[in-house]
Amino acid sequence: MAAALTLKSAPTDSTVKTDARAGKYLVFQLDREEFAIPVQSVREILGMLEITHVPQTPNFVKGVINLRGKVIPVVDLRLKFGMEAAASTRSTSIIVVQVQVVQAQGAQENGPRTPLLMGVIVDAVAEVLAVAAADIEDTPSFGQEVAVPYVMGLAKIKGKVKILLDITQVLTTGELARLDFDAFSH
Amino acid sequence: MIEHVLTQIEDLNKKIEELNKQVSSGASVLEMLHALSTIETLSRAAGKAPAADFAHDLAQRTERADGDKLQRIVRVGLELLLDVLNESSSGAEEETPEPQEPPRPPAERAAPPAAASAISMPSSIAQDPELIGDFINEAGEHLATIESEILALERDPSANAPLHAAFRSFHTIKGLAGFLELHDVRQVSHDVETLLDRARNAQLAVTPAITDVVLEAADYLKRAVAWVAAALRGTHGNPPETATILARVRRALDGKLEPSAPAVAAENAGAAEPSAADKLSSEKPAAEKSGEKSGETTFTLRVDAAKLDSMMDMVGELVIAQSLLTHSPELARLEGSGVQRNLQQLARITGDVQRMAMSLRLTPVNQLYAKMTRLVRDLSRKTGKAVRLELSGEDTELDKTIVEHLADPLMHMVRNSLDHGLEMPAERIAKGKPAEGVLRLAASHQAGHIVVEVSDDGRGLNTEKILRKAREKGLVPEGHHPSESEIHHLIFEPGFSTADQVTDVSGRGVGMDVVRKQIQILRGHIEVHSAKDAGSTFLLKLPLTLAIIDGLIVQIGGGRYIFPISAVREMLRPTPEMLFTIENRAEMAMIRGELLPIVRLERRFGIPGGVQNPCEGLFVIVENEGRCFCLLVDSLIGKQEVVIKTLGETFRHVTGISGGAILGDGRVGLILDVNGVLREPVRA
Repeated sequence: MAAALTLKSAPTDSTVKTDARAGKYLVFQLDREEFAIPVQSVREILGMLEITHVPQTPNFVKGVINLRGKVIPVVDLRLKFGMEAAASTRSTSIIVVQVQVVQAQGAQENGPRTPLLMGVIVDAVAEVLAVAAADIEDTPSFGQEVAVPYVMGLAKIKGKVKILLDITQVLTTGELARLDFDAFSH
Repeated sequence: MIEHVLTQIEDLNKKIEELNKQVSSGASVLEMLHALSTIETLSRAAGKAPAADFAHDLAQRTERADGDKLQRIVRVGLELLLDVLNESSSGAEEETPEPQEPPRPPAERAAPPAAASAISMPSSIAQDPELIGDFINEAGEHLATIESEILALERDPSANAPLHAAFRSFHTIKGLAGFLELHDVRQVSHDVETLLDRARNAQLAVTPAITDVVLEAADYLKRAVAWVAAALRGTHGNPPETATILARVRRALDGKLEPSAPAVAAENAGAAEPSAADKLSSEKPAAEKSGEKSGETTFTLRVDAAKLDSMMDMVGELVIAQSLLTHSPELARLEGSGVQRNLQQLARITGDVQRMAMSLRLTPVNQLYAKMTRLVRDLSRKTGKAVRLELSGEDTELDKTIVEHLADPLMHMVRNSLDHGLEMPAERIAKGKPAEGVLRLAASHQAGHIVVEVSDDGRGLNTEKILRKAREKGLVPEGHHPSESEIHHLIFEPGFSTADQVTDVSGRGVGMDVVRKQIQILRGHIEVHSAKDAGSTFLLKLPLTLAIIDGLIVQIGGGRYIFPISAVREMLRPTPEMLFTIENRAEMAMIRGELLPIVRLERRFGIPGGVQNPCEGLFVIVENEGRCFCLLVDSLIGKQEVVIKTLGETFRHVTGISGGAILGDGRVGLILDVNGVLREPVRA
């Protein structure tokens, strides 16, 4: 064909990487660590509710819940990161996040990518924080051969380190997403 | 002479400038068309044929656009027009003045068009996915029209109406392609259009060679549209090769065309990109056509499928909310007050809304039939077998998802029938059958199910061969004598094929198990009836609506599970005398003289806390592919109509669970896929 169809996607922010990570984050706690995810991906925050277990799933997939008529999967983030399971306390919460699902291979092409809602169980939800570019440091590589793609960086605010998570990446990898926490905290 | 041309180009540029102003001042479509027409004339006079053609195509596109799309199209179109002009000028020897007004980039898209001196045409339109999407949809519809019209033409070469219809469709595609600068597509469309024009003016005889080449051109266009669709999604493959088809069409125009070797269209065009055009095309193209046939016009709307799905979800939640309200114990106490009456009214209206919403997704099965007609025609040519295709129940309506998912299985079965089922004419006559074989496709509603029948009057299934092959593969143990029905179902095992040679069309042994899987995804099943030399009949039975089922809710361990009522034969509490253990491994129950295997669901799923002693629990007796099983559950909770919610990507690999549902108390129940439960080897 004579015409070459070059389809450019919508123009993305061609700004510096650190700027893209700055913004408002929801901070939550898992064990002794504090994590933060961008608020745009947060749909709502719920207290713990009854989770229906689904058989044949990895242990970090706790099951499904009824979110006002929608059935959504729930993941225990502690287990997903390879931490020990913990009993629910009064502050245990479920954060409902919206992730963009990458089409699995061989999956039916059904048009626009439907965003997926998933719940993540966390020990406690802390606060919403504005993170400035200046506060963000790149994830140091601790001699790990494999980069940790779902950690976008570290934010140091008031002397405490918060691990900035790309929650989509965390939830769409099928396996356990181990993090070397000792390396992160100091 | 040169001056003359120069003046015209000046006029041209002025006209374009005017039009640009008109666009921003909100000029009417008519004014724009008028201006475009002038531009076209001027271009031709100035010898700028490409520009003239482009102006013509732009006018055609403008005619059918509306709203702010119109503005975008014209604006972008004008930029391109200027580029076309400048490009053809830069090759010429005359001096050309600079364009009077630099083209303004479209407001929404940030990417500016490339410099006018570039050799390849910048496709700033190509950066507008919406316009490309429109092209794919419209082209798809027109290609469907072309195919059915040409097939009609084959049956009756003297008919004129199909020629007109096909001509119009190629003409439209030509314009659409030109607008998107798909030059090869435009060229092929143009040539076929000319061919059809001569045919309808009786300057060209409609021979099989001609209909062949037109269909081949349509196939080429399908591949081209698929290529565009793939590019839109970010998959950049190779564009389809144009030279061959163009040469054939040109030979047809010169009257020197030979009939082509029969190629199976579905393989070439369909295999690579399964009906991308069909999938994206409007919701009811068939309805439009059937309206035309009967002389009335049915008014249809093109609806974004995603919006429809959203609405379906919301209707589902409405039903649940309404149900919770109606069954709420607090409200039940308000007997005799107006509340009860209003609740009933609400229930009635909700039911109506739900039924209406479901029906929105229904399309007549006609769409599928059209594909099959083409396939049968090609296959019959290729195999040399005479086939008559009998279609019935064209108006039967199916949920659009079912229709989409049925296409492949149906094609497989049609191929099998034509390849293995039907005999060659000579063989048929020797058997005392008419030389022409019959392939029947029938769709109907039967008691909450859709039944699609695929039957032929050919050889029938060869049970001896099947059994032998199955024993060879170890699928049937020694000494076991399966019933005829069980033998028939063996053909659905993976890798099974009794074909002596693997033909191009089928017989690779990947057919029937894939078909069964696809039908199971739709929560349906297949029935087989066959008799030697009489033929075979396959019945595809699918549930009427994908979204709602009548469910039997049971308790297993700490969870609630749902059986689709259609899967359940009966339920009973066993007594110790009924229970047997074979070789200390397999547990069986004697139900009315038959020994049925017991499946402990709590073990199958690894659910803790389930009842251990069957006599303290409940047997749910189900039938699957001709055999019955006893599934052990703790207890029965109740019966409920539930809306099926898919569990999503996360649980894609889970077998035995087909989805989730919100129960009356708001909790989530897991819907059992009986077939999936039983296919997994029972863990001891």
